[in-house]
Amino acid sequence: MRPVYVAGAAVHPFGKHLGVNAAELGFRAVQELLASTGISPEQVDAGYGGSTYGGSLLAQRVLQRVGVSGPPVYTVENACASGASAVHLAWQAIAGGFADCVIAFGTENLSGFGGGTLPLTTNDIEISQGMVMTAAYAMRAQRYLHDFGATVDDLSRVSVKNRGNGALNPRAHFQKAISAEDVEDSRPVADPLRLLHCCPNSDGAAAVLLCSEAFAKELATPSIRMRASVVRSGDFHTSYRDMTWPDITARAAKAAYEMADIKPSDLDLVELHDAFSVAEFLHTEALGIAERGQAYKATARGEFDRDGRVAISPSGGLLSRGHPVGATGVTQICESYWQLTGEAGDLQVPGAEVALTHVTGGGIFGVDNGACSIHILTTT
Amino acid sequence: MNTHTSPAPTLVGGEWIHQDGDHTALMITKCHNCGSTWFPPREICSKCASGNVEQALTGSRGTAYASTVVRIGPAAFKPPYVLAYVDLDGARLLAHVETDEALAPNTPVELKVGAIGEDDTGPLSSYLVAEVSEAPTSGDAL
Ligand SMILES: [Zn+2]
Repeated sequence: MRPVYVAGAAVHPFGKHLGVNAAELGFRAVQELLASTGISPEQVDAGYGGSTYGGSLLAQRVLQRVGVSGPPVYTVENACASGASAVHLAWQAIAGGFADCVIAFGTENLSGFGGGTLPLTTNDIEISQGMVMTAAYAMRAQRYLHDFGATVDDLSRVSVKNRGNGALNPRAHFQKAISAEDVEDSRPVADPLRLLHCCPNSDGAAAVLLCSEAFAKELATPSIRMRASVVRSGDFHTSYRDMTWPDITARAAKAAYEMADIKPSDLDLVELHDAFSVAEFLHTEALGIAERGQAYKATARGEFDRDGRVAISPSGGLLSRGHPVGATGVTQICESYWQLTGEAGDLQVPGAEVALTHVTGGGIFGVDNGACSIHILTTT
Repeated sequence: MNTHTSPAPTLVGGEWIHQDGDHTALMITKCHNCGSTWFPPREICSKCASGNVEQALTGSRGTAYASTVVRIGPAAFKPPYVLAYVDLDGARLLAHVETDEALAPNTPVELKVGAIGEDDTGPLSSYLVAEVSEAPTSGDAL
């Protein structure tokens, strides 16, 4: 396999962009990517666009507006991991020697759905019983608190930390710090989760430029190395399952660490799929960053703060940035690109050299999640 | 629930429900090739793809693995409503709970059939669970 580099990143700020459809948001991000990297459309060998609700041929509808029409272009759907899956396919194309310069992007507009919980897949036994994503995480949270002695205050601490991080991020949906009292006072959604334990549904887009070593050297923009790119699907069964241990994350992480030859202790920062505050505990443990059942204590000790042992979601995570489903995995890589190139501004993790991005989702019965993707990025 | 000339309730998952007097059981699939247990039942094992499977009935008692009160959710289920993951003779399934509060983990429960909501086609009923004081038994499984 050939080494793969990230040589550019662009994000259309996340938030409520009612009436600006997914293709338009994606176009704005990709246009900025081309402008900031200085590449011309004929240099692009392939394109991958991730979106869950953007519709057929979304990637063509975005890329043809910036002159990328003719080369292979794919629209990728993998629920919350749609954007990261698009990046993974771009990585495959370059690692396999089939392309030297590829655009991967993710985009979503959720405002069109109105408020409340997102529609999940149909013809699913749990959804026909009233399952919603908040309920799934609420039950994981209840069991985590029960099994490991954590409290709702511990859950709130994640929201306070990540909203504090996001307060400094101009691309975040929420740019305002919150207190533990704000979380306690917010509306109950699914016990024990309150509204501020949950990420908002957002609109937004993000794009990255992936390229070969030779191509990266020709560009004026700085590059970082993509050391690992992994996608896994959920292990389907309807037997008893430990819902405090997201096996899909553990399996994807093991493969990513092996591919990158990196240990959890080497990580300087992680952009993690904190769709709900309890998810940060579950996934930091499955990623090997905290001992089993101990993540909540590490959070309380400040180990996951921006200046802590390893910064978890220094950009604010999904809790602050928001969650335009298909765009989330790509924006995590954009944020990490700026961290590793020293361009993260107020969000900068001092001396950041190794970053991991993690996105997982898709509510279908019988699996932890439908799809999970992990990327590991390094400065060299 | 309204009683005036309402249509017969839609029985969600009705094809898997087995009722005998007060006793409610669910159809599950046991794979003889790999030992997997499946709910909803199926003709081919979704683990090993073997057709060497047996359709069996669960007992009526299980244990709540986790539970929540859904306070914002689909209108058809009339939030707030209580859900639980229930462990029942080797299968874990999601069910409504006949209560106002989330069940604590490991609470013993019993299968029943009852109302879970109402959509544009009329009332919805399905299998659901209620807390029981006794320890679970599975001796009545076929
Ligand atoms: Zn089998």
